[in-house]
Amino acid sequence: MMNSARWRERLSYVAAIVTLLLVWQIAAFFLPRFLLPGIPQTGARMLKMLDNRDFLAGVQQSFIRLSIGYPLACMLGAGLGLLAGLSPHFARYLRGLISILQSVPPITWVPFLIILFGFGDAPIIIVITLASFFPMALSTMNGTEGVSRTHLELARVLGASRWQLLQKVYGPETLPAVISGAQVAFGNAWRSLIAAEMVGGASRGLGWSISYAGETADMAGVLVGIIIVGGSAAFIDHFLLERLKHKLLAWRTRPGGAIS
Amino acid sequence: MSSGIKLTDVRKRFGQLQVLDGVSLDVKPGEFAAIIGPSGCGKSTLLRMCAGLERPDAGQVLYGGRPILGPDPARMMIFQEHALYPWRTVEQNVGFGLELSGLPAGERRERVAESVRRVGLNGFESYYPHQLSGGMRQRASIARALVMDPDVLLLDEPYGALDAMTRLTMQHELLRLWAGSGKTVLLITHDIEEALYLSDRLFVMGARPGQIIQEMALDLPRPRSRGDARFVSLREEVLNTLQIAA
Repeated sequence: MMNSARWRERLSYVAAIVTLLLVWQIAAFFLPRFLLPGIPQTGARMLKMLDNRDFLAGVQQSFIRLSIGYPLACMLGAGLGLLAGLSPHFARYLRGLISILQSVPPITWVPFLIILFGFGDAPIIIVITLASFFPMALSTMNGTEGVSRTHLELARVLGASRWQLLQKVYGPETLPAVISGAQVAFGNAWRSLIAAEMVGGASRGLGWSISYAGETADMAGVLVGIIIVGGSAAFIDHFLLERLKHKLLAWRTRPGGAIS
Repeated sequence: MSSGIKLTDVRKRFGQLQVLDGVSLDVKPGEFAAIIGPSGCGKSTLLRMCAGLERPDAGQVLYGGRPILGPDPARMMIFQEHALYPWRTVEQNVGFGLELSGLPAGERRERVAESVRRVGLNGFESYYPHQLSGGMRQRASIARALVMDPDVLLLDEPYGALDAMTRLTMQHELLRLWAGSGKTVLLITHDIEEALYLSDRLFVMGARPGQIIQEMALDLPRPRSRGDARFVSLREEVLNTLQIAA
């Protein structure tokens, strides 16, 4: 019975993808091929590109940048957010800092960082970290504010030290907020990675490939890039992060109501 | 042998509100004492002081003759809402205090199992709080306190959220756990019958400002009957003190 609900959910997801493809294919019928290639041509092109060593190396480079910048932001954000939960002074300071820095779109820093560090990985990684740090820190901070006072007092009565409070009460109690922060942060990280690569932070990578294809009016190349960008993000979010969330918060979904 | 708790002329103010205004009371070692009073009379604040979670503005709160400066596992508090950690199983909740003290896992499991058995929750060790009934949750929170083998048990309206039948069972169980343990108990309640049924000594508090308005030594033999003539007349007396027409 539970499976049928799950299948229905999957089915609606498939329906959404089919709709998008349908709109694309119909539009392709009416437009010349160089303006909008259809699904078969784009598919053939994708197979060819996935066989191209330079393109794959670029994609790999993008993922390396992501896998440095994103975890770094998560750790910084969760750590500082938790610290803010312990000290109201630090919380005010951090909120101030975030609201100032957040009013600047992370991508704006690219020229500044390129001048400082030169072309390459450093500016892009820093932009990813900046973009995904904010949601993570804010979400963690809001999570620590929601920690039950009774839970804290109880731990103190049972003899908890400050460090134990952080580790055994604040930590687990803010975990749901930390995880949803990490999901939002991933979206930010991914968007700013592609954007930073597109506006010229690097001469290699998924974003760079798309903007290069655009400059040479290679529409099929652009579309393949878009599909890979969207597909990878959906895969990471739905399969990796969601699965991690279910595993970490398993206690919430333990079946069975109250026993009277 | 456990130590007693003594308050002398304790005062506490929250902003404009004088919550406690010169409260003195003496709970002897091994005694079961209860404080009863209307809501807002400061009885919870008083108990939190005994736990070391609040400090008095003036006066003294003594445990075994020494001032209470902060929380201590020797004085265990049982909270109004069971306050179990929802992400921990019964076993992990009960063993939390021992875990904090760094007791090795093997020894911890033994003591937790014993404590869980004493409150009748064996078989439910791997359940999460949301899978338990209200009474079972409160039992788990009592097991969590008992496993620390405290000197003093401080109970803050522990059965307030339970239905009447479960409450009677739990009161009976509490007496059984306490009998012969030598532990000092201080119970806060707004249930007159609960206080009369359980305690050796009863303090009646009045509100605004919070003060002890009557102290009664209850020497009724246990188990007590709620329909007993003396029980009923004592109940009458407390009602009169609280100026609630019976």
